[in-house]
Amino acid sequence: MIQNGINTLADSYITHPVAQPEDKMQFSEEAVAELEEIISHYPERKAACLPALWIAQREYGGHLTPAAIREVATRLGTSQTEVEGVATFYTMYNLRPRGRHHLEVCTCLTCAVMGAYDVVHALEHALDISIGETTADGEFTLSEAECLNYCGNATVVQVGDHYFPDISPSNCLNLVEELRKSEKYTPALLADSLVKIQTPGASLKGGGSFKAEEI
Amino acid sequence: MAILNLLFEHRDVEGIGNIDVWEANGGYEGVRKAAALEPQVIVDEIKTSGLRGRGGAGFPTWIKWNGLPKNYDAPHYVLCNADEGEPGTFKDRELILKIPHLLIEGMILAGFATYSKVGYVYIRGEYVEPAWQLRKAIDQAYAKGYLGKNILGTGRDFDIYIHMGAGSYECGEESALMSSLMGERGNPRLKFPHAPLPTVAGVWQAPTLINNVETYCAAAWIIKHSGEEYAKYGTEKSKGTKIMSVSGHVARTGNYEIEMGTPLMELLNMAGGVKDGVLKAVIPGGSSVQIMRPEQCEKINLDYESCGANGTLLGSGGFMVFNDKTDIVQLMRRTSQFYMHESCGKCTPCREGTRWLFKILDRIASGNGQKGDVELLLDVCSQIDGRSYCGLGDAAAWPIVGAIKAFRSEFDYWIEHKRSPIGNTFVPPVVEAVNPVLALTSV
Amino acid sequence: MSDRSLTQTEVSLNPLSSERVNITIDGISLSVPKGENVIEAALNAGIDIPYFCYHPRLSKGDAANCRMCLVEVASTAPDGSVRKMPKPQTACTLPAAEGMIIDTNTEKINKDRKGVLEFLLINHPLDCPVCDRGGECPLQNNTLYYGASASRFTEEKRHYPKAYPLSAQVVLDRERCIQCARCTRFTDDISGDAQLGLLKRGSDVEVGTFAHTSFNSKFSGNVIELCPVGALTSRTYRFKSRPWDLMTQKSICSKCSNGCNIKLDYRMDEVLRVNARLNEDVNEEWTCDRGKFGHDYISSPDRLKSPLMRKDGKFVEVSWHQAYSLLADKLRAAGTNCGAIAGGRTTNESVYLLQKLFREILGSNNLDCRLDSNPLPASDPLFKKSLQTGMGNKIADLEKMKTIMVIGSDLQDEQPILFLRVRKAWRFKGAKVVYVSDHLTTDSTAVSDFASVNLIYQPGSEITVLKDLENALARVLSANTADSEPPAQLNTQPSEATGLSNNDIHLAASLLAKGEITIIAGKSVSQHSQYVELYQSLTNLLASTNSEGNLNIPVHECNSLGTMDMGMLPGSGPGFTKCAGGMGTAEMLQASADGNLQVLWVMGADPVQNFHNNELAVRGIENCPFLVVSELTLTETAKRADLVLPAVSIAEQEGTFTSCEGRVQKLFKAFEPVGSSKPDWLIVAELSAILGAKNLYFTFNDVLQSISKEVPGYEKINPGTIGDQGIFRTVPAAG
Repeated sequence: MIQNGINTLADSYITHPVAQPEDKMQFSEEAVAELEEIISHYPERKAACLPALWIAQREYGGHLTPAAIREVATRLGTSQTEVEGVATFYTMYNLRPRGRHHLEVCTCLTCAVMGAYDVVHALEHALDISIGETTADGEFTLSEAECLNYCGNATVVQVGDHYFPDISPSNCLNLVEELRKSEKYTPALLADSLVKIQTPGASLKGGGSFKAEEI
Repeated sequence: MAILNLLFEHRDVEGIGNIDVWEANGGYEGVRKAAALEPQVIVDEIKTSGLRGRGGAGFPTWIKWNGLPKNYDAPHYVLCNADEGEPGTFKDRELILKIPHLLIEGMILAGFATYSKVGYVYIRGEYVEPAWQLRKAIDQAYAKGYLGKNILGTGRDFDIYIHMGAGSYECGEESALMSSLMGERGNPRLKFPHAPLPTVAGVWQAPTLINNVETYCAAAWIIKHSGEEYAKYGTEKSKGTKIMSVSGHVARTGNYEIEMGTPLMELLNMAGGVKDGVLKAVIPGGSSVQIMRPEQCEKINLDYESCGANGTLLGSGGFMVFNDKTDIVQLMRRTSQFYMHESCGKCTPCREGTRWLFKILDRIASGNGQKGDVELLLDVCSQIDGRSYCGLGDAAAWPIVGAIKAFRSEFDYWIEHKRSPIGNTFVPPVVEAVNPVLALTSV
Repeated sequence: MSDRSLTQTEVSLNPLSSERVNITIDGISLSVPKGENVIEAALNAGIDIPYFCYHPRLSKGDAANCRMCLVEVASTAPDGSVRKMPKPQTACTLPAAEGMIIDTNTEKINKDRKGVLEFLLINHPLDCPVCDRGGECPLQNNTLYYGASASRFTEEKRHYPKAYPLSAQVVLDRERCIQCARCTRFTDDISGDAQLGLLKRGSDVEVGTFAHTSFNSKFSGNVIELCPVGALTSRTYRFKSRPWDLMTQKSICSKCSNGCNIKLDYRMDEVLRVNARLNEDVNEEWTCDRGKFGHDYISSPDRLKSPLMRKDGKFVEVSWHQAYSLLADKLRAAGTNCGAIAGGRTTNESVYLLQKLFREILGSNNLDCRLDSNPLPASDPLFKKSLQTGMGNKIADLEKMKTIMVIGSDLQDEQPILFLRVRKAWRFKGAKVVYVSDHLTTDSTAVSDFASVNLIYQPGSEITVLKDLENALARVLSANTADSEPPAQLNTQPSEATGLSNNDIHLAASLLAKGEITIIAGKSVSQHSQYVELYQSLTNLLASTNSEGNLNIPVHECNSLGTMDMGMLPGSGPGFTKCAGGMGTAEMLQASADGNLQVLWVMGADPVQNFHNNELAVRGIENCPFLVVSELTLTETAKRADLVLPAVSIAEQEGTFTSCEGRVQKLFKAFEPVGSSKPDWLIVAELSAILGAKNLYFTFNDVLQSISKEVPGYEKINPGTIGDQGIFRTVPAAG
């Protein structure tokens, strides 16, 4: 969504009914254990707000609903408004459902100069959507991203927990085809990666789209 | 002066991310050495080296390391700023991805030197692959006893935790990073003299050391070798090496570790020179610094002083090269879009000013510029620069002021002719004018 | 829910150093406490520095975002050389240091101010003509004095839907918001419900509640006054008036016993809004929502405008002359067989004259003011002892305590301003709080949110809980093991009875053992059937920590304490002097029900609704041979009366209230009484004259002077001393 010429960082909520206090907590047992482990890294429970939101994003299927935010606030013992403020501040939290693959094309300085907008337009054409939209089959969401800091390999596209470097209008269609077949790099796996990375010992098991031997 | 791989010495060794290979290549020698040293000796070694912060500001590192209380009475924290977000910079990415153990060594040393028991690496959320490498490296270091309780029998403890960001350039600002680490919105916090220095009351109001990835890596090198050795390289005031991330219209992009004081043009030549055209401009230190014309580039050496003397900054080392097909006005439009997007919205000048700057540049670059717009841009920049809560406002204003200074004629051309002096090399998407009303309408 | 106590550096209220430093502002040399914010030093010296986000009562950690208070700063080195800081600094967060030289009025600063205002007005709609804040708007004022005359912003402003209802009381206009974060800091720092927060980022930042839920804070009205623009406005006052058309009068809130100083803003004899009036020792500058939005009764269309007499089962309007004649006849006929019940919301003057009429002219001692169930008879020495004092501490002194124990009270609801003080003590002054109650509330903010220990016991076990606590405290004090593990056996009964763990009791005792403690007890203590035992336990706790006297059992209505002081109790005359006994409320109602009480006068009370024994109240009121009620509206009791006398509200009379801490404060008259209604004291005075009183009272001042002479404890209170912030009455020795 574009607003005032800005891709809104945190799109407004859509269609969710406001969470009710009696909404059930949905974190699985393992998720609670992961959260408690991460909380133990900090002197305050509240400090685990960012990781807790990542866990919530995974547990709630790739995006944060008001119920997810309420659950995080409850588990951390902090205010719901504050957690919503955090969730809407950072761009990587999804406040609405995304496609199975979220293509984030870096269009910042170097990439822009090296033809990132051509890639965007090629993808728009190939997927038949505009930037910010999701395909009808729910496979792809296309977004612009600010600098992903892989400028040496412009244009870079982030999909879930993986960077695809050196994307050009000519090879971006291959990327789309490859992703169609891939089970990896989904928003939930991105969240999973980010949670596991913060969990000591996780390199032995892997997480997200990564197996232990790939790390 | 040329390429000088100190930190990158073992970058290309097969499997160097693995602790066994790392140890075989002299890894953790510095930590073993430091285990026998008094904390003050480590600080003094850093002082001797003349190392300055590699995050962009170039503040002498030893002063920070020396500033924390010298006892274990209360918790201290060592933070590593790996929220690399400055457009054009990708050095930390490679350091963490390829040689994560160097960073771990640096942080352990900082922990010893500052009487800290806990370190956090704040990595931007997008850096999943580098972060996995660091996770593995930390896990290995724990297994070998370099981290955890009673490291190498010294009686000293040190834990490193990874804290992943979630998408915010602002969190690379040290006080905003602390807010984010504490689970808050990434807003900057009050700084000296309005509040105590981080070394007195930083994260959780405890004494805190915060440095960039490259700084910790350099510190690890310095302790392993010596401060004197490090100080042999570089210029009088800018010691050692700097990793420059070269991108844009050059033949061989990538990270180049160069000796401080290397002429700018030499780096350009190392990278294979300009691609698809002739040199038009260079941004030497990331998007926040002033753009340089070719004739200015000739005079610049890549160190803090020479860059400063020529009206730009070495910054974080994001070295962007542009050929003559680059439209500077479009480039600035995209730069201002970045800062508008990344402003945290806390203070008035940055929140409103970055958006206004974008709107003016957007109208110029879409053929709707008016006479006087350049003066307006300069005036708005002067209203932001130095007036904002943190440095992001300054960083949004400097490149625009710099571009107008260096390429004023292109702005005038756009305003007068309603088209690019170059021909359209990059076409930005059409900005949606309507403001989609937020969800509150349903109420 | 905001559960973090602030550390020193984040607070603007940090105790200032006693060390003084010399600074220069605009060439004026000042000596100020080291570390004082420069903006405060300047404002104290009469130098204007414009600001929006700065507020002295909110933490400074989140301030400095409007950038309006930028000043140029230079420092003087010990060798005398002056070094100027390259960037302008925000005066609202800059601590004063020796040799600091500040310039607030340079060309550069004036340009910066113009710049900030230009930025703020980029998105701020210029709908001042229809904005409630117009005329009293800091943004308007600062633009007038410091802004440029024209904007250079030509693009379209930001648009949001107007008037989003945050709650039943507060409306948010996000277009007008300048993101100063005062309101969000208020809910974090002061009220503690943390319901307002900043959402999104960059130029999209907006104030909001979680997922658009209702802003149901008990203190939400304050954000309307805090907002430096018209972004937060009152739903009741919205579009009612322009500020410059309003008249303002000082008053005292009538909604609870805390005695908040308020301002009544009225026009054409109608109260349109209530704002807080600064009183550092009482409410500072806050109100609760009951006080801010609950005064609509003053201008209610239901107000009584003339005396009503029951004729053939229906009320007919009569003249005061007719009303007085009838009442005087009935009272003369009744002799001593009459009584009066006065509520806790009439003025001291009214009650004083009422008890004087009954005791001195009619010779009746049937007087009472209590509608709650009372564990003690008014003649009991303990009743006098514990209620005469009401509160052992002054409200302002609560924040000086190290440990505050709140027992049996939903404090945020019962005593909202005491709640804010307790929270301030915890958040800004580092006090620890122990909360003892038989339940947790679902309110958005409560003492339990920030208490170090919550002792939530099984209902009915309060005696045991306090005994356990006493034992634990004794053990901690004797063993000097404040921080050690609790001993295995310290409960008098197994914990199943109370539901509390050994650990919690021990922790609470350890906190109490640190001394400088105070206890605030609520309704469930003061109305407890075993009040005596509870009172004894609480005094024991205080005695063993050398904190005798720090027991606070605040009363509940705005003049409950004053009414008792004035002698509206059976057997207790003005100033709790001993006098002949009589019937209390329950006895009077019983006598009335049995037809044994000829005349019952109910003044400013509604026993049918509020007496704890409703069945008795209805019987007593309905069977009363002659019931006279003086009231503002036809309450359930008034509907059953034989004669109704129209009284006036706080806005239409002068008078005094005695707050729960014993502070006597004055009501100022805003406008003339509605219809032919009269202040209660005047009604009593005129009737007394008809019945042959020797002393005649014509003005409020006459009555107050008489109180000053005749009521022990009120000697120092007279029209000349009371002022607009009130003074304390002294507590006479229990007798």
